[in-house]
Amino acid sequence: MSLSPRQHWIGVLARALRSELIPHEAALRDADYQLIRAPEIGMTLVRGRMGGNGAPFNVGEMSVTRCVVRLADGRTGYSYLAGRDKVHAELAALADAHLQSAQPSQWLSDLIDALANAQARRRAQKEADTAATKVEFFTLVRGEN
Amino acid sequence: MNAQLLQPAFVDPVLDAQRSFRAALKALAEPGLIQPLSTAPHLEGLAPATYALCLGLLDADTPLWLAPGFDTPLIRANLAFHCGCPLAVRREDAVFALLGEHDLLDLSGFDHGNDRYPDQSCTLLVQLSDLDSGRGLNWSGPGIQAGRQVNLPLPQAFWLERLRREAFPRGLDVLFCAGHHLLGLPRSTRIAEECA
Repeated sequence: MSLSPRQHWIGVLARALRSELIPHEAALRDADYQLIRAPEIGMTLVRGRMGGNGAPFNVGEMSVTRCVVRLADGRTGYSYLAGRDKVHAELAALADAHLQSAQPSQWLSDLIDALANAQARRRAQKEADTAATKVEFFTLVRGEN
Repeated sequence: MNAQLLQPAFVDPVLDAQRSFRAALKALAEPGLIQPLSTAPHLEGLAPATYALCLGLLDADTPLWLAPGFDTPLIRANLAFHCGCPLAVRREDAVFALLGEHDLLDLSGFDHGNDRYPDQSCTLLVQLSDLDSGRGLNWSGPGIQAGRQVNLPLPQAFWLERLRREAFPRGLDVLFCAGHHLLGLPRSTRIAEECA
């Protein structure tokens, strides 16, 4: 399944750490904007499929924060992210709105690529740490005879 | 949905929605008394009280029937975004209906509930220009101690239409809105001839 560029950056913004977005806060807020839906916290039900293709079942509920902003020129930015961080939700929605401009290249290179690289590094680090704990199981021959 | 049309709704979504729900409860508990709703947002085409009721009452489980006069892209987009309510094509499917003063002469099709579940009837939200410029009628019934004079600017044909659809406990509950005020007319209220 291929993602559209917007799906990609919305995902990157949702997975980013708050501390990574705060340095861009001044640039993101440097525009006239209004909150269409102020940041709000709610619950959503996570559903899963056993093995990825079994019957759907309810895994559990998780908290989600969402926000919608609109810039003065009409671009509307959305954000949905896991957790309860309203500042993060507002900044992510603002970034989504800025990225919808005719030339999003500057925002893409400044913000999204850096965030995506940091996330890839974290993921690789975590996978390496996890891989180091891998245990090879083998079956002991039981003394039957 | 066109994102350009979206506008902010309640300033404080939780408390403002509770205020409008409370106003709707009071309006139906004390029929004919005008209830103020001061913290209502504005949306082109809807009175603040009407919009506040929509935001407080509608959600994904309540199909709404829109009268043609209210069926604008702006209202559709904002109700879909802030309430998430489906829009009913047929009157029979609606749990709430949004009507103007010109839609009151034909109330056919709306769900009146059934004898076992009269609460499942359709609730009508009616937007008027004001709530006190009509001729006075004497209301009585539950929630009214001695009788109350109400001056809704409604045609006689509406009262006949309401009477025709009354089969207690089945019936239609109506909430009238104008500006920042609303007024309830539950199915249990009896309307007598005009006051002297």
